[in-house]
Amino acid sequence: MSARGDEHWMALEGGADGSPGDGAYVSRFAAIGASIPQRRLTTDELMASTKYRTDIELEQLTGVRERHIVGEGEDSYTLALAAARDALAHADCAAADLDMLLVSSISRHVGGLRLQLEPPLNVALKAALGAEHALGLDISNACAGMMTGVFLLNDLIRQGRIRRGMVVSGEYISELGRNAAQVIRTVMDDELASLTLGDAGAAAILERAPQGAPGIEVAGFTTLSEHSRLCVAFPSPVGPGVMMHTDARGIHRVATEEAVPMLREVLDQAGLKFDEIDYLIPHQTSARAIRKASEVFSESFASTPKHVVVTVDELGNTASTTHFVALHKYLTEGRFAPEDRVLLLSLASGLEVGIVIFTVDELVGRYGHHH
Amino acid sequence: MGTIIEAAAAVEAAPWPGALGLADAAAQLCLERARRTAEEVDLLINAGVYNDRGISEPAIASLIQEDIGANPEQQPGTGQGTFSFDVRNGGCGMLSGIQLADGLLASKTVKLALVVASDIDPEPGVSEGFGFPPVGGAVLVSADDSRAGFTAFRCVTFPEFAGLYTSSVVWRDDIRPDPGDPGRNVLTVEIAESYAEQALVCAESTVRELAADSRLDLAEVDWLVATASVPGFAAELAQRLGLSADRVASPPEVLAGTHTAALAVALQSARLEPGTTTLFVSVGAGITVVAALYRG
Repeated sequence: MSARGDEHWMALEGGADGSPGDGAYVSRFAAIGASIPQRRLTTDELMASTKYRTDIELEQLTGVRERHIVGEGEDSYTLALAAARDALAHADCAAADLDMLLVSSISRHVGGLRLQLEPPLNVALKAALGAEHALGLDISNACAGMMTGVFLLNDLIRQGRIRRGMVVSGEYISELGRNAAQVIRTVMDDELASLTLGDAGAAAILERAPQGAPGIEVAGFTTLSEHSRLCVAFPSPVGPGVMMHTDARGIHRVATEEAVPMLREVLDQAGLKFDEIDYLIPHQTSARAIRKASEVFSESFASTPKHVVVTVDELGNTASTTHFVALHKYLTEGRFAPEDRVLLLSLASGLEVGIVIFTVDELVGRYGHHH
Repeated sequence: MGTIIEAAAAVEAAPWPGALGLADAAAQLCLERARRTAEEVDLLINAGVYNDRGISEPAIASLIQEDIGANPEQQPGTGQGTFSFDVRNGGCGMLSGIQLADGLLASKTVKLALVVASDIDPEPGVSEGFGFPPVGGAVLVSADDSRAGFTAFRCVTFPEFAGLYTSSVVWRDDIRPDPGDPGRNVLTVEIAESYAEQALVCAESTVRELAADSRLDLAEVDWLVATASVPGFAAELAQRLGLSADRVASPPEVLAGTHTAALAVALQSARLEPGTTTLFVSVGAGITVVAALYRG
């Protein structure tokens, strides 16, 4: 229940109820890590590899020019591990200081395209990082997995149950594009979205903020499961790895529509207007989808965030890692000012709607930039 | 204030087939037993590992949410929706799910959480080493101001034993069920003989740490709910801990090897009355142990 006494649709942490309340803390991002494979695959190269001749203008349709793909010896696990180490290198804590380690990859490839179901990936990651005190746990929530991890860690840090935690994800998903290239014939094919995917790892460390310091203002999540069957992935019948069937137009349409009242709810909870957001980082499916959704949002709120972040052109859709890969890129490029307010918007298969609003603050300094 | 168990349920058959059918049926039976409706559930966690076709997205929890009608559609201004996601923590998943629910209940972010799990062989006749019975289980938890409920959790991983229990899906060129198939993605589950013994050792040390931290005399334990996806585990753990056999919540023999739903299966034979103390122990691949203390 909010301070106004009316119920909200999303599960919400923070905001108008009084944040922090008595005995509660503020949580903040202590560091963001990323691991982008060296190898690149252009959309031209991928489309030249299709089994059947197609006239699909994928780059024009999606804005995806290229994506990075794993090389020899890289997989979901190695991408996650490298991203976790990168995050630790930017934080002022060690792996042994982590109270919790959540792994949220959709892909679980360890040792090439060997999809590991058990043991969970956190066991090996904890050991490799030396996070011996961390409660390890694998979670899975489609492309909203890392955001789900942030939501869970934020809640535990706010209560004082933990002081510091990491969520990490390694996505080796480029084989979905390879598998799709074996079957794709037309632009209406339900494996078209698989051709936009790229590989990447990302990690986020959350910690208790010092008293008075800014951090995560509000976080919210909900699942609108009447749309749960619009994007489904499972082991492929045509080759190693996974295949994914997506009603791309359908999921984009409902995601945009459903996001509006959820954004309104979270902004109200935070006492913010849409144009008080400096950077909106949406899930990266296609440049065109992001542009169209932004137009709908602008119309609905009669205002716009100062910037809308797009990385899908050069990285493709990197599944659960997109928001954090984008954050990492902007931090390392020195694009943020400490006072910038960022809104992360997750729209994922489920249909999962997740929103996190935070102030960048001293994260800027942890990447060698001082404004 | 504590997180309490309102009801548990397990099913071996469902009106419609597959892991999803079992999960849906267990969820519905559990809600019925607690006299709750699906709309009241605002957190739904699925902890099953082996589902129909090996779906990796969306979260299976979102499919269950839609099937049981837990606020699948947005109706702004009419109440709270439901948040669904999956925990993938092998045989410890249900207890891990309860631990996550405990956190979100304590902060009042949610009010009623349903933790569901089920497993089936995704491709009978093709998969190798899959021996878990098809079972669905569900546990419903909420916050209660007047009861202690779950008072402590302890989660420990033993990576040195990771090789004792592995399961993966790998492309095999040599397996072609239908002529013309290029090959097949095949699920293989491998559990070493020594896993059962090692699971006991890891479980015992974790329980003794939990007991020491919680100042618990093991003689106070009224119920032991212990699972490791292998038959006989709970009885042997009870012996190691010095607990008499009548305190073990034992599933029927045919369900003794139940995987992720085992906790719900075992809970059905325990009576968590006020004043009782229950020790939960789940062991899974990793080796991972999650132990918890519950005061009824």
